Amino acid sequence: MEQSAEELNKIEKKDLFTSGHRACGGCGQALAARLVADASGENTIACVATGCLEVFSSPYPDPSWRIPFLHSLFENAAAVASGVEAAYKALNKGPINIIAQGGDGSTADIGFQCISGMFERGHNVLYVCYDNEAYMNTGVQRSSFTPLGARTSTTPMGNKTRKKNMPLLAADHGIPYVATATVDDFRDLQRKVKTALSIEGSKYIHILAPCPLGWGHHGELTVKICRLAKDTGLFPIYEIINGKVTNVGKIRTKLPVEEYLKLQGRFKHLFKKGRPSPEVAEIQEIANQNIERFNL
Amino acid sequence: MEKLPLGLVIDLQQVVPYKTGSWRTLLPVNIMQTPPCTHACPAGNDIRGFLRVLAEKEDYKEAWHVLTRTNPLPATCGRVCPHPCEAGCNRRDFDSSVAINNSERCVGDYGLEHNLEHKKLVSGRNEKIAVVGSGPAGLSCAFHLAKRGFKVKIFEASGEPGGWMRYGIPPYRLPNYILKQEIDKILRLGIELECNVKVGVNIPLDQLTREYNAVFLGVGAQKGLGIDVPGKDAENVYTGVDFLKQVNSGKWMEIGKDAVVIGGGNTAMDCARVSKRLGANVSVVYRRTRMEMPAITAEIDEAMEERIMFRYHTNPVKLVTDEGRVVGILSVQMELKEPDASGRARPVPITGSEAFIPADTVIMATGQAVDYDGIDVQTVDSQWMYTNEHLMTSMEGVFAGGDAVVGLETVALAIGQGARAASAIEDYIEGNIESSLAQPPVIYSRDLNTYYYQKQKPFTKEAVSIHTRLKNFREIYPSFDTKDIIEESKRCFSCGLCFHCNNCYMYCPDNAVKMSSSTGGFEFDLDFCKGCGLCAKECPCHYIQMTLEK
Amino acid sequence: MLKQIEGSHAVAECVAMCRPNVISAYPITPQTHIVEDLSMIVGQGKLDAEFINVESEFAAASVVLGASAAGARAYSATSSQGLLLMCEVIYCIAGMRLPIVLTCANRAISAPLSIWNDQQDSMALRDAGWIQLHAEDNQEAADLHIQAFKIAEQTSLPVMVCMDGFILTHAYEPVDIPEPKQVDHFLPPYAPKNIVDPRSPKGIGLFADPRFYLETRYILHRAMEKSEETIKAVSADFAKTFGRNSGGFIKTYKLEDANLVIVSMGSVVGTIKELIDQMEEEGKKVGLVQICSYRPFPRHEIYNVLKDKMNIVVLEKSVSLGRGGILASDVRWSFPRAEKRDRNISSFIAGLGGRNIPMDDLRYMVEKVEKEPVELEFLGLKKELISGKDL
Repeated sequence: MEQSAEELNKIEKKDLFTSGHRACGGCGQALAARLVADASGENTIACVATGCLEVFSSPYPDPSWRIPFLHSLFENAAAVASGVEAAYKALNKGPINIIAQGGDGSTADIGFQCISGMFERGHNVLYVCYDNEAYMNTGVQRSSFTPLGARTSTTPMGNKTRKKNMPLLAADHGIPYVATATVDDFRDLQRKVKTALSIEGSKYIHILAPCPLGWGHHGELTVKICRLAKDTGLFPIYEIINGKVTNVGKIRTKLPVEEYLKLQGRFKHLFKKGRPSPEVAEIQEIANQNIERFNL
Repeated sequence: MEKLPLGLVIDLQQVVPYKTGSWRTLLPVNIMQTPPCTHACPAGNDIRGFLRVLAEKEDYKEAWHVLTRTNPLPATCGRVCPHPCEAGCNRRDFDSSVAINNSERCVGDYGLEHNLEHKKLVSGRNEKIAVVGSGPAGLSCAFHLAKRGFKVKIFEASGEPGGWMRYGIPPYRLPNYILKQEIDKILRLGIELECNVKVGVNIPLDQLTREYNAVFLGVGAQKGLGIDVPGKDAENVYTGVDFLKQVNSGKWMEIGKDAVVIGGGNTAMDCARVSKRLGANVSVVYRRTRMEMPAITAEIDEAMEERIMFRYHTNPVKLVTDEGRVVGILSVQMELKEPDASGRARPVPITGSEAFIPADTVIMATGQAVDYDGIDVQTVDSQWMYTNEHLMTSMEGVFAGGDAVVGLETVALAIGQGARAASAIEDYIEGNIESSLAQPPVIYSRDLNTYYYQKQKPFTKEAVSIHTRLKNFREIYPSFDTKDIIEESKRCFSCGLCFHCNNCYMYCPDNAVKMSSSTGGFEFDLDFCKGCGLCAKECPCHYIQMTLEK
Repeated sequence: MLKQIEGSHAVAECVAMCRPNVISAYPITPQTHIVEDLSMIVGQGKLDAEFINVESEFAAASVVLGASAAGARAYSATSSQGLLLMCEVIYCIAGMRLPIVLTCANRAISAPLSIWNDQQDSMALRDAGWIQLHAEDNQEAADLHIQAFKIAEQTSLPVMVCMDGFILTHAYEPVDIPEPKQVDHFLPPYAPKNIVDPRSPKGIGLFADPRFYLETRYILHRAMEKSEETIKAVSADFAKTFGRNSGGFIKTYKLEDANLVIVSMGSVVGTIKELIDQMEEEGKKVGLVQICSYRPFPRHEIYNVLKDKMNIVVLEKSVSLGRGGILASDVRWSFPRAEKRDRNISSFIAGLGGRNIPMDDLRYMVEKVEKEPVELEFLGLKKELISGKDL
């Protein structure tokens, strides 16, 4: 259903993902999940994959969800959401917002099969990926979203591979809406969620969700780090509507990647004695490529 | 414990949330701080207060009431104040200061156009206070006392109220009708005014101390001092004070073709610009340079725009007269040596550099003093009045403030002193030890989070052309568009006080920031707050700070 | 109506008559005909359901999980590798108490790869908390599906209907396909207990810490035990409505005077019955206990019918590698310790990987255990294929 620009830009606070969850203080994923749930509204079913989000938000007897949620396994949030969507179609119920949510593993690694199948079949489901760039829940192990140079418990010398570009992979399935967002711009994030939910078909939103524990920074810096990820070009903000890249988030003041890397403990090893190692230049190169490719 | 439901399926509306507040080691608190504008304002105006009312509610009426809590003369100050608030404004470090002075004028003018009135806070007190002098100090003192319910009578030596604002500041800076309307509003609080009575001369001071519970002296420094040079008693030689008083009383002064003003203060600038409008070629003679001139920068700039010549390093030695009238000044060039007692470089004459400056009129704006005629209070170095920390003079029950106490300062400072004196008088009458509220700490720009703002051009006022200006004594800055000022007020960062940007409300991952129905702002749900500090970090005005949990 | 019909087709038709709302399946031999038929039935508009062609069995199980949690009657079918792939979800479905019906076309498990029948696949998931029912023939396979939905929805336990791959799925037999009206009368529409619905928000699939998890397992175990009543009641109800005995806990054949009893399940039961008839003519008294409900295991029933029988042989198409016969273990456990001493309970593994079980092999088995008990033997083992050191 079409929404006016005013409705799309209104900030939503409905307490549908509320207090009492066991996330670390300053958790980017908790903040993102809260913003997504509120933007979606009460007429929503959340299908949640195992991960930090599930573990901290749904313990018996006090989960922090106030919209109905369904959790099964690590890798099948997309398939479970497909089933819910099929049921609603078969039973002629609805309209309803179905949001499948998962972290990087559940989206791009172990869950890639299910999400690819869901996109290919075109179920009317919004998939939200909370990208904290590692398997955080199990102790900060490397995933396919871990960026170059990051230290995780399974890449103690720094990750040697580049981040998988999931938004573009999603878009290549031919789905009508893909977007990237960060938790620092809550208006933008909620607008994207609302836009996505108004489109029929499979949708994908990729949210950068800093993890204070895994990235090695104070919880209060979560929002600032997102801003730096945007302003250095390492996390480009854009929408892909029917295959075309639009609404690119232009960088206000371009910053060198050091500004972003220096704040995080997981990149500390790149700055021995204050001097940046060669990987930093490679990371800058990645940022430059993003800026060029998306015209940031 | 409840029995386990089938499949461990839980009804979400029955959940009792787990209290994560016990995890906390740091606690967010709301701490109101003093913005540097208020800190710099000699009248202690709630600048943040009135600007935020304009920005958030676009309500000029409420803004006027906020501003006039401390400043009963906003339209006046908005025209004549050198605005130290803008020098302190934190926005200055981001792009440029908020145009506070212009906003003040716009709000003041609105109050005049829409006939807004001051309100009493308390009524029906029986004590009587006498206020001597209806300049800004006296008016402010009377204003605050009247609001608190006291009976106040002002004794004014001149024919009309206003003090130096009326008789010193020329109308192109402060139109008479503006001042009169503002004074009338103050008087409508029930203040009695008697003009043409000089206390100490027409009425003895001790009569007032007997008949009134307290007295406030706001007599200003309206005695002009000239320099001691030969020829100073000639006909067309005036002190700055006398010259301005005559012009501002409506008298047309015939000053001839060339006028020379000696001095570097605001009075000198006023005399120069008035003379220009009276049709003369004007030059200002000053023994040091522009850097040492005590006049407000804007005044000097505007005087230069009006093609007044400045002769720096120049000191008059003698006023050359012919048949009792001055025809010119014999002056000598000075060079600047090490600083003297005033802290400014010491001028030393250069021998052999004498020159003659023709002049039909000479105005000596070279200093002012308090007229102590009949007022027998202790002074400091025989110059300004002595007051203790409660603004009481050496006479019991007699208080003082304004130029008479602090020397030649601003309208804003006099207003502030009047307010302090009113408080001190109330304490004196009630027998209280002075009740002073501790001022919250000042917040500086390094503690603000300015990411959320874009650089913007400030509002700037535009003067009418020089040609138009010099034709008359009308205001050189026409009135401002109220919409422009509202846009300008939105530039205020609201340093140290919540302005409902919703950042903390939206950024808390634990949903622990709630809207407070009592304050209209936000409060923290301490059952769930984990003390992560995101709210404090992202608060643009530093209103939220993290402290150690007990 | 009686039809000469392939087993898969019969199952498909009966499942369709149960009016599932969501069917999701991934093809795997020998289940393919079931899902192909259902997709045709849905495609032709004869069944108003959502048919989801998923990208793996794992997804298939996940989709039916989601659909059931949202209030739909959901069905899937799989076999062997597919069943193992969806293992995680199978456990999940049981833990969430979702009444899903799954057809397992029993097939051997890789490696080595085999597409032919044995029961190792469903055996691998016997501990998951699903009711497992085994069909003897195509008629029973079809009937069990109709009963399965009713059992599942009444007990809030998922039901796996096991039918031997190829032997039943691809065999043409006369099957009495019921009328839709009869099925509707027997199986009322699904009235779910707990669903995800914004009108009454619930959380399904919570995280249970050590304070609660043990109890959830206990509850599930007790529910499985108590489902015995429902399984029997539904079978009885089925008999009343459709006029034939199908399903239930166990069935017996010529048990009364038997000196030797064979315990087995699945399609091999048909061959065993023929053997018993032949041996009866030869004067031997052999009996059969046919297990229909493998989970919950009919321990008391077996004890009751076999307590006076001293020579028992268990024939099964599954093995617990490193331990021995699985069904045999279960049967041995049905007798209290004191009563095991004089009793022979022999264990034979047969038919793995689709190996034919000829009558001669069965005779051999009977004759062997008449002489002495057999701890464990692989029936029909070709010793010539095994090198000395592995023997």
